[in-house]
Amino acid sequence: MSDVERLVVIERTLAAHSSGLGANLVVSGAKQDGQAIFHFGEPVGASRRGSILLDLEELLKATIDPGITVWLEPLGDRNSLRNLRGIEVKS
Amino acid sequence: MSEAVHTREGTLILDSHKLSYHMDRVSAWESGERIAPVSVDMSLTRACGAMCSFCYAMMQESQARSSIKVDHALNLLDDFAAIGIRSVSLVSDGESTLAKAYVPFIQHAAKLGIDVGNATNGWEWGPDKIEQVLPHLTWVRFTVAAGRPESYASIMYRGPEHTDVFDRAIAHIRYAVDLKRRKGLSVTLGIQMVLMPHLKDEIIPFAQLGLDLGVDYAVIKHCSDDEQHTLGIDYSQYEGLHGLLTQAEAMSNDQTKVIVKWDKIKDGDKPSYRRFYGPQFLLQISGSGLVAPSGMFFNARYSKLHIGNFTEERFIDIWKSERYWRAMNYLASPAFDAQRMMGTLPIQHYVSVALDNHAKGLHRIQPGADPKPLHVNFL
Repeated sequence: MSDVERLVVIERTLAAHSSGLGANLVVSGAKQDGQAIFHFGEPVGASRRGSILLDLEELLKATIDPGITVWLEPLGDRNSLRNLRGIEVKS
Repeated sequence: MSEAVHTREGTLILDSHKLSYHMDRVSAWESGERIAPVSVDMSLTRACGAMCSFCYAMMQESQARSSIKVDHALNLLDDFAAIGIRSVSLVSDGESTLAKAYVPFIQHAAKLGIDVGNATNGWEWGPDKIEQVLPHLTWVRFTVAAGRPESYASIMYRGPEHTDVFDRAIAHIRYAVDLKRRKGLSVTLGIQMVLMPHLKDEIIPFAQLGLDLGVDYAVIKHCSDDEQHTLGIDYSQYEGLHGLLTQAEAMSNDQTKVIVKWDKIKDGDKPSYRRFYGPQFLLQISGSGLVAPSGMFFNARYSKLHIGNFTEERFIDIWKSERYWRAMNYLASPAFDAQRMMGTLPIQHYVSVALDNHAKGLHRIQPGADPKPLHVNFL
């Protein structure tokens, strides 16, 4: 399956279960090794986002492939001084 | 357990764990109880005036930062005491000495009987602050990237010409060493070098600086990296440093022990465990207020393991919540693989190795013998 095909499968599953997940989630990557990368359409508080994403991972494992793991897009350091080092968090 | 280091003030265990002295929690965990952590590692802010090239905080940006007010910090300690947390280390992902809550936090913890340790660059830790906190601290560990001023300034700040930061840190460390002696304080003072393989020429000068300062120990540890190798640490290169590290250890004298964290350096980037049990005993909290099982998961990437923020709700409610235990249970389940899904050598490494071996029956954790080691409540 190609990267694009994997994305389409996940997007379809998301669309079918969007109301149950309780957040606007967008898939931005689906790697061959099972890593699926998402971002939230709007900010979600720390007390909610963990449960939403674990629910999502359980759903994708159950409906598509048990080897899927869910991640969000990483954030880079907001410390302006440390940023002078030029380190970029790899995704 | 690795060999402990005998100092004039007691036995120091830096390259292993102290679970043997918390068998009540180990037994409760094994019985499936929802245990309180023995220890919490946290920061009172994400801010820091340094720019250390080895800093893992560069990979720990979560989603939104919250400012930790004094009330938040004191309530947090009350909650820690209520559930039985025994120690707090102010390390994590920020320079806690910069926070307004820093002094009241340490003084309040002392009133509650919670041990506190603190890692700092020492830059904003002047005599006034030292006098207010040192009598209440169990240990202070200064981040000293190198023993030579120019190297120190290059690694921790803008460049070799900025040796003023080195001078300031050393003056503050000397003040603390002197205060400890004058007042007969029980606090342990140490310096720590985070060794990146290309910094091998700094090993011996660092050890010498520890001796010159008269601190209790000078420890050299590995550098952690995330699983994407953002910092580009090549763990295979540590082996070539073993001779220099052994030479540094041999410089130890009666006052100052030079200690190498051999277990972590030799374990490199592949832990022996896949299930990650350590956070149930040693929890981490970000200077953003985020509660997540480990600092390895502070970055937004690991949001599925974000549990809550103690500036938005009381910690005791977070700890009692189903989401806390769902995150902990996820890490202990086959859904999680510590060898592939997190960075290298977390603060919970020693504890996690021991608990994994215990759970597998390979090496059962045994009750510790008396006398207890120094800093027994810090795992």
